[in-house]
Amino acid sequence: MSIGLLSLIVIVLAVAGYFAGRRLAVSKVAGDIRKLHSLPSYYGQTVFLFTAVPALLFLAAWLLIQPLLIESRVSAMLNVADVPDGSSVSLMMTDVRRIANGIDLMLAKGGLNSADIAAMRTDLTDVRGRLAEVGVALGTNVTPAVFAAGKAYHDLSGTSRMMMTVGVLALALAGFVYAISRIQPEFRARNVTEAFVKVLLIGASCIAILTTVGIVLSLVFETISFFRIYPAKDFFLSLTWNPKFGGGSDLGIWPLIWGTLYISFIALLVSVPVGIFAAIFLAEYASKKVRAVAKPLIEILAGIPTIVYGLFALITVGPMLRDYFAQPMGFGSSSSSVMTAGVVMGLMLIPFVSSLSDDIINAVPQSLRDGSYGLGATQSETIKQVILPAALPGIVGAVLLAASRAIGETMIVVMGAGAAAKMSLNPFEAMTTVTVKIVSQLTGDTEFASPETLVAFALGLTLFVFTLGLNILALVIVRKYREQYE
Amino acid sequence: MMNDMRLTERVVDATKIKISAKDVQVYYGASHAIKDVNIEILDKTVTAFIGPSGCGKSTFLRCLNRMNDTIPICRVEGKILLDSEDIYDRKVDPVQLRARVGMVFQKPNPFPKSIYDNVSYGPKIHGLTRNKAELDAVVESSLRKAALWNEVKDRLDAPGTGLSGGQQQRLCIARAVATSPEVLLMDEPCSALDPIATAQVEELIDELRTNFSVVIVTHSMQQAARVSQKTAFFHLGNLVEYGDTAQIFTKPSDPRTESYITGRIG
Amino acid sequence: MTAPSTNIPVPAADFRPSLYKTDSRTKRRNAAETRFRAYGIAAVAFGVLALVVLLTSVLSQGLSAFRQTTMVMQVELDPAVLDKTGNRDPAELGKVTTITYGRLLDDALNKELAGKGLIPEGMSARDVSAMISKEAPAQLRKIVLADPSKIGSTISFDAWTGGRIDGFFKGRVTMESAQLDSNVTPEQLQLAQAMRDAGLITMPFNWAFITGPDASEVRPEAAGLGVAILGSAYMMLIVLALALPIGVAASIYLEEFASKNWFTDLIEVNIANLAAVPSIVFGILGLAVFINFAGMPQSSPLVGGLVLTLMTLPTIIISTRAALKAVPPSIKDAALGVGASKTQTIFHHVLPLAMPGILTGTIIGLAQALGETAPLLLIGMVAFVRDYPGAPPEGFLDPASALPVQVYNFTQRADPAFVERASGAIIVLLVFLLAMNILAVILRRKFERRW
Repeated sequence: MSIGLLSLIVIVLAVAGYFAGRRLAVSKVAGDIRKLHSLPSYYGQTVFLFTAVPALLFLAAWLLIQPLLIESRVSAMLNVADVPDGSSVSLMMTDVRRIANGIDLMLAKGGLNSADIAAMRTDLTDVRGRLAEVGVALGTNVTPAVFAAGKAYHDLSGTSRMMMTVGVLALALAGFVYAISRIQPEFRARNVTEAFVKVLLIGASCIAILTTVGIVLSLVFETISFFRIYPAKDFFLSLTWNPKFGGGSDLGIWPLIWGTLYISFIALLVSVPVGIFAAIFLAEYASKKVRAVAKPLIEILAGIPTIVYGLFALITVGPMLRDYFAQPMGFGSSSSSVMTAGVVMGLMLIPFVSSLSDDIINAVPQSLRDGSYGLGATQSETIKQVILPAALPGIVGAVLLAASRAIGETMIVVMGAGAAAKMSLNPFEAMTTVTVKIVSQLTGDTEFASPETLVAFALGLTLFVFTLGLNILALVIVRKYREQYE
Repeated sequence: MMNDMRLTERVVDATKIKISAKDVQVYYGASHAIKDVNIEILDKTVTAFIGPSGCGKSTFLRCLNRMNDTIPICRVEGKILLDSEDIYDRKVDPVQLRARVGMVFQKPNPFPKSIYDNVSYGPKIHGLTRNKAELDAVVESSLRKAALWNEVKDRLDAPGTGLSGGQQQRLCIARAVATSPEVLLMDEPCSALDPIATAQVEELIDELRTNFSVVIVTHSMQQAARVSQKTAFFHLGNLVEYGDTAQIFTKPSDPRTESYITGRIG
Repeated sequence: MTAPSTNIPVPAADFRPSLYKTDSRTKRRNAAETRFRAYGIAAVAFGVLALVVLLTSVLSQGLSAFRQTTMVMQVELDPAVLDKTGNRDPAELGKVTTITYGRLLDDALNKELAGKGLIPEGMSARDVSAMISKEAPAQLRKIVLADPSKIGSTISFDAWTGGRIDGFFKGRVTMESAQLDSNVTPEQLQLAQAMRDAGLITMPFNWAFITGPDASEVRPEAAGLGVAILGSAYMMLIVLALALPIGVAASIYLEEFASKNWFTDLIEVNIANLAAVPSIVFGILGLAVFINFAGMPQSSPLVGGLVLTLMTLPTIIISTRAALKAVPPSIKDAALGVGASKTQTIFHHVLPLAMPGILTGTIIGLAQALGETAPLLLIGMVAFVRDYPGAPPEGFLDPASALPVQVYNFTQRADPAFVERASGAIIVLLVFLLAMNILAVILRRKFERRW
């Protein structure tokens, strides 16, 4: 039974439960609903919730956990001895999954029944050919062990599906019966419904925590498995980044950190002065009309997807910097460079700096401005000597947030900075960043369990810790600042 | 009604006209906030502006050092002469004017800087001193004039925002005094202070009279009576009555003044 | 600091300079003021200029993607070639390859040329046929297979030209560059120009760019956005279906029910941080949890939608809470005052009033998700996908692309014609974003309330 159909059945049952519950409640008081504790629809709602929610949650949980259980059962069936040279258990598991999928297709389209499958043996039948007929391509011939595992995988999935279907339906029915049986005139249906809804609301709020937990766990676990096959010391201390297909890679993080910080630095060099001056102008000088036009225009820059900036770096800024600066000045002839990525990222960050700084400057009390003007200070003296010092913590927070954005930005550097891991001072040279390498290591063709792929998780963890630190620092500073003037 | 004995004892001793306003009109957008105000403010005198809320007394005060320039929709017509020079003349730079007509505000508003930097701010931006020693001297004498020196002389580097409310307001007065203005405008300087701090500031205002012409806007008639020699009563944007404080409080000539003083409007 | 009063360098009042004379120091200060103000104007101008240059650069590079150089030709669908048995059996017809259809097109093109009296000077037959897109025979084949009754008749067929010819009319390819290019000859360009003059080549609006699937590296003229747009649309559906209810539920709890304790603080801190976590980290999460752990299919809109949902949730929660906060407490008090329960008050009164604000925030969150690229790269959406995903819900599991990822894909290809396609794809993306933002503004204007 497909998942769509299963959930549909549950929902239909729940809706039926709603009407049944409502009618039952009304009939128990012979139509005089004043004798009910709650409005009739609340009785219906309790039935609906008890029928649908546990069953659907169970369904979702099962779908998440089922593959994991099956994988571990099946991969335990494969002996290390069965693993041919140049392969690994995880590669073989891919084949196993394909075979299991192929068996499904053979049953559906290939005109075979389950008895045929059970009788099928690799030494007698051309399994690979049969699978190819139903559109499942395998790289190598199928060994008996792998085929057996494939069959087991298929059978286990079938059983598990069956158990899931039975479980979901049973839960839905049980909820239905339980909720119906509780309906009595004095049953506090509204309170029960509301408590139930509140639990759902809390559940929704917890998704934020679950997401963070998911991020941290997935990063930490894969990083640990990376450090099992690659020494942590080399990762943190080596100054070379040189991944190789055949193994023996140098995976030192420093060239990536250098590139990341260099590009972020240039981005801040562009965005901080422009952003702060723009904020000052908009907050202190601009007339209402100018502000109403200029502020949204600048903020559009923040709404443009980063891929657009990436393309802008790739086709416009990169070649321009190369032709007018790098080549004439003898700095090299690469169109992707620290400068290209940095400048374009700087443009992107202008509104991040200016919007928050604008808010912060506006939060400086008018009385300070009056005090300064009253002493005969000009507007710029007031801004420089009174407003900016007062707003400084908030502006520092804004800059830190922009820095965190710059460090975590991906598309602009993927398309504008280049892929060469270098530690050079020349800003017109192509360099690379942590995020670029995360993308390239995880979208490459290397095997998942290799250090070349797993290093991406260690890089991700580094990035996460870095940006998290900056964000928290920025939030704390800005919050302190806000409290000061509230 | 008013039995403060000092009232009658005090004499208006200065006669030199410091500020003279002629047919001043102020508009906020379309609304006419100040109508036909004519007034002559004397040197070395405390002049109090009284009147009910929204009567235009603060607005008029802010015209005297062109603080209204910072409000885009505000428009001032007529003439305001400071020592017979029209401060609204096109040649006048408000920045220079405000160095000569200082201002203290309703709420103490020390800058988020040290006490020293607060006081030295004015002299620094106007370039009034030639070296650090002179600046130190100005800071000290200003703090002395504001009767704050003894309380803060050991902690000039402490932030001005850390002082108590009354101290903050005296710091703001010191800050205004430091540019050695000729006129000191005070917009309800005690409204945010407790009675003890109010008493200290009022005492200070009386002393400031020896050096400056002081104009104070106040909500409290008692305060006007205590500190001022001249009083102007504003009502609905008009200057209703202007004269010696004692006369205004004892024999007001206009019925509206009398109503206000006896508490019937306000 | 001795004898302070005598040290103050204050001129006596009578010696004050006239107010009418601006002293030199004030002049300097005013000049500094003007300069400072100019920096501000310059900064704002710089920001606006950056926006203008960015948009012009993309528009100027991409607008031409919406026109396609096309040869209009009459193709004779010869039964002797296409259906040798003559029984119109679909299985038999299906065995005829695109090579055969290519020959039909070559014949048709030569006939058209002869009809206009154009002689391909100095060109081999191969050169002439190379002017037709490699995609054209496949399209012709599709037309025939869809309606075998056409065999035997002569149909009017719009065949795309090759990418270089297309580039020639769009100014990307010149006679000079053709000399250095092994894919095109100057003679071909001359012939193309002559065909254009004779009306054999037109440049109609390129619907296939918007609706068609991606094409391989060597057929830039056929590359379209259909699969990517569909994939993006599927993901937006998933994001809307998940992020809106979850976001609203979480906001209601945090804003209306949650008491101030460590647990609420924990949630708050988490939301604030998730809003600032780099998007690529969400991609890693999707790869590790949804694909590797839960075994969901790679490149599928389902995984993409889930990742984008988690990314968008903080945005939606933050704006929803702002909208809930904006509902005046007097309305809540009124409802509670007539005996409604807290839940009733929220669902009957607060939520409907906050709805415009919630929807505005949701649309802005969706717009953000629509433009997001980095996390989708990691969950395999960067793969080359030519087949449209099926109808939902099963289609959510089919491989698909996404608009921004498609842009990235185009930029990774060598042929410069893909720059035009990438920029054109961005124009489509920006049009969607613009439409969403306008919708948000309209919603806000229309339902804006003043209490």
